Amino acid sequence: MSTNHDMTAIPLPATVIELRKLSDDTTLFRLRLDDAIAARRLKVIPGQFVQLSVPAGGEVPISLAALPGEDGALELCVRRVGHVTALLHTLAPGAGVAIRGPYGNGFPVTDWRGKNVLLLAGGLGIAPLRSLLHFLLRHRSDFGEITLMYGAREPAAILFKEELSELSGRRDMHLFLTVDFVSEEPPGGLVCHTGLLPGLLSGVNFTTENTVAALCGPPALYRCVVEELQGFGFPADSIFLSLERRMKCGVGLCCHCAIGELFCCTDGPVFRYADLRGVEGAL
Amino acid sequence: MAKDFLPIGSIPDFLDALATFGEVHGPLLTDDGVQVFGRIASPADLRLDYRRTLLPPKKYLLPPRETVLTYAPDSGYRPPPLPDRDIILLALHPCDLAGIAYLDMAFTSTEPDPWYRARRRRLTLIGLSCEPDEFCFCAEVGAATPGNFDLFLERTPAGFHIRTGSRRGEKILARLARLLGESEPALSSPQRCNIESAILVAVRRGETFPYSPLWDEFASRCLSCGACSLCCPTCYCFDVREYGLLDGESAERIREWDNCLFMAHGETAGGFNFRKNRRERFLYRYRHKYLGFGPTRGTLSCVGCGRCREVCPVRIDLLELFKEER
Repeated sequence: MSTNHDMTAIPLPATVIELRKLSDDTTLFRLRLDDAIAARRLKVIPGQFVQLSVPAGGEVPISLAALPGEDGALELCVRRVGHVTALLHTLAPGAGVAIRGPYGNGFPVTDWRGKNVLLLAGGLGIAPLRSLLHFLLRHRSDFGEITLMYGAREPAAILFKEELSELSGRRDMHLFLTVDFVSEEPPGGLVCHTGLLPGLLSGVNFTTENTVAALCGPPALYRCVVEELQGFGFPADSIFLSLERRMKCGVGLCCHCAIGELFCCTDGPVFRYADLRGVEGAL
Repeated sequence: MAKDFLPIGSIPDFLDALATFGEVHGPLLTDDGVQVFGRIASPADLRLDYRRTLLPPKKYLLPPRETVLTYAPDSGYRPPPLPDRDIILLALHPCDLAGIAYLDMAFTSTEPDPWYRARRRRLTLIGLSCEPDEFCFCAEVGAATPGNFDLFLERTPAGFHIRTGSRRGEKILARLARLLGESEPALSSPQRCNIESAILVAVRRGETFPYSPLWDEFASRCLSCGACSLCCPTCYCFDVREYGLLDGESAERIREWDNCLFMAHGETAGGFNFRKNRRERFLYRYRHKYLGFGPTRGTLSCVGCGRCREVCPVRIDLLELFKEER
């Protein structure tokens, strides 16, 4: 895959091989690069993103929701929310798209060896954390306790339900789910709390010692969860946030995604809270 | 004595000689009375006594809109041919030369942007000394000393002293030899203030004026028209868009000037906006201009040309922030 930091570089052609509808507005797209050699060379750090081209629609930055599969397939979890993603959602298997990247720093997983990892996802924020979780489980013995806390608006909005139900049966990690509102429909056999993520956090026992926290969610989530984590004694340099901005080029040129003096696309999208504290407009 | 003096009467011949190297562009006055950089078709068009053009010369390197990829179902995404026009850009003041030096850094220092690089390689820069007016402040941002030119013309009452700044400049000068006369005695260079300006002091400290009441005051008057960024020689934010063509199958990807004063600049998919109010957008512009982002961190990119101060319809002047420094 192109590591060329040139936004005009030709995106690599890819084909949609499978769609999995995850909720009303969110679908997991499995793509395969048409060039098998490029697919094999693909190196992904969990938390990185790609620029996805939908012909005649344009380009959008999308986090990789998984590490590349055995078959070299890439998984992108995309909500139908704008012009390009709406067009993407009309595609069927076999349709052609294109990809640049992967871009950004990703989570510093090599620095986390030997540590406990607490993953906190809100809504679509589960997408980049899913690739992180896959990495942690693939290298399970390198890490301490692994805990995933995931909050969604309502049971129907919980993404990856089957996978979560599999994860809930694993003995080598903890899984906690919560929904803001409970509708009539039960969340498909999953044990699920009601309330917001910070509430879930305060109701669960976990150690803060030798633990890092990885967060991704809608903008409103960060401030209250960070506050909660700090209340538990998490130091600011053990809290890692994956942020969203309008990344047009992905290579630090178009100047849409600055956070303080840092670029979300090249300095991020994963930041330590210690580097964001006091930066106006960061969270 | 060096033969480096171009008498004012030789300007037409000078333009003819330059035209053998490429299309000559320079300051001219349009029919509707706007000072612009444009094609100099005859010596009478050239306005060497101009103060400043409405748009800076960045348009020669970053056109307001350009196609960067085309898409067709059978061939996929393909780049269009790179620009291949040689342009001689004449009579750039030191501030505009400094503006191009900054763009050179932003677009070619790490991974060169192919479009920028193709245009830049074919662009010859000829500078001209200037007389500041009430809007200029290049000395205060350290951009008064001319740099980044192929040739530079220092004005005297009878003509211009020419000096070279590159191999390309030397090559052009060699072709001009027959037009040049003996040098007049060198001009005394203008007195420069040795005291570091308030702007440079504040910028070195990474100042963001977080408690200044001016941000709210500016925000209350700003029309979000974006003129200050449009006319800035170093503003280069761009948007990337893709348009389907009328055949319903092919498409064009373009990039075009964007503007951090516009509401949409900080918007993400789904309509969330990280800079929804004008105060936030001002701070963003200030940070980019004076402190730099990402790879340009720590680089002051204001060149003191005075365009933003002149064009702002509500007379917002970011320099007021620095007055507290004085």
